[in-house]
Amino acid sequence: MAQKYQYELTYVISGVVKQNQVDDIVRKVNHLIESNGGDVLEVDEWGNQRLAYEIDRKRSGYYVNMYFQAPGTLIERLERELEINDDVLRYLTLRMDAKMQRHYEQRKERRAKEEAAEETAEGESDEEEE
Amino acid sequence: MADQNDVDYEHIEYVDYKDTEFLEQFINNQGKILPRRVTGVPARVQRQITTAIKRARHLALLPYVSESIR
Repeated sequence: MAQKYQYELTYVISGVVKQNQVDDIVRKVNHLIESNGGDVLEVDEWGNQRLAYEIDRKRSGYYVNMYFQAPGTLIERLERELEINDDVLRYLTLRMDAKMQRHYEQRKERRAKEEAAEETAEGESDEEEE
Repeated sequence: MADQNDVDYEHIEYVDYKDTEFLEQFINNQGKILPRRVTGVPARVQRQITTAIKRARHLALLPYVSESIR
């Protein structure tokens, strides 16, 4: 089996695309990764956001940020798929080096902590956290 | 602006293109990347900021040219 690397992928789906089609695209991307010997680690959909500039006359886009492990040969196919799809306005794939991985772990930890803090603030303090 | 050394830039390991709030400190009102003589950050960090801004621009998270002067 070829060596697997960890990747970060962000892509922007046109803001005029309906939610069920957006879900279709996301599912298709995830499926493509998983059916080609990759593992999806995390999919973070940022949702509809205003674009900093107009792309193909569109002012908003649906951002999807995801992390996965895959052999390098998958990337070419994946990017080709994204390139062909007219609803995908932009994509960016990065192979994560040690620094990025550390940064990613830190971000994840911070987010987990924030969520935990929110939960304790919302609900009754039933957990014993010193 | 980022002219003072009040923030600890030395210990930044990785500049994230997703952190647009952070990156916005390093662009002027036209959307241009500020030079190091203005930002005063270490060269290593400035290089990372530059790539991060360019990545963010590609994804339309940051403008190539600001709205106001287009």
